[in-house]
Amino acid sequence: MRYALLVTGPAYGTQNATSAWMFAKALLKAGHSIISIFFYQEAVNNANRLISPASDEHNLINEWVKLSREENIALNICVSAALRRGVVDQDHAQDGLYNFHPQFNFSGLGELATSLLTCERVVQF
Amino acid sequence: MNSIAFIFKTAPHGSSSGREGLDALLATAALSENIGVFFIGDGVFHLVDAQQPNVIYARDYITTFKLLELYDIENVYACQQSLMMRGIGEQAMGCLSLMALPLGNLQQQLSRYDKMINF
Repeated sequence: MRYALLVTGPAYGTQNATSAWMFAKALLKAGHSIISIFFYQEAVNNANRLISPASDEHNLINEWVKLSREENIALNICVSAALRRGVVDQDHAQDGLYNFHPQFNFSGLGELATSLLTCERVVQF
Repeated sequence: MNSIAFIFKTAPHGSSSGREGLDALLATAALSENIGVFFIGDGVFHLVDAQQPNVIYARDYITTFKLLELYDIENVYACQQSLMMRGIGEQAMGCLSLMALPLGNLQQQLSRYDKMINF
């Protein structure tokens, strides 16, 4: 089945995003396809490449990047939600500072709407 | 195309959830009219009239809900029980046209939609 995932929790602090990542891996293992992973609200923080967990802890940002590269899945970040929360790419850099991981891409709510309207299943985390 | 229910269940201003939910709702409304809007639990506080969020340096997105009519989104529902429990009577509510329904009917309306998302 064709799934759309909507993530609304940060990389650290709540379990939402980790659950979403685990679910995404389980879907692919079971032979389903993921048409969209959209990061909205606090989830935009998953694209912050400066997040630095302790060395013996799970680094969810690295895992998203790995999943995206290996499975060729786009990681869509809502640009307006991100900029409000200080997740900034090179184009929006302030004083040369930005923290957006290049494996993610800035996207708009139209992308979320399209995936909601066309998927077979949507799961919100 | 899927029909989609947008459920608002958190109170406005204390978190950005309602505002971002409305943004997502309007983006979807630009592509489809087959959308339902539900106010449940603390989400019914969105319906209180004459809010002044600017006083707490928050944006007044509540008035933006009026755009729903322009987008021909007519299926707007509120949980009657949630309104009652929070003491929100008809005179306290703004001009958003909606139907307040008891739980059973609300569930029935919700079940008509292919997908739901929560804010």
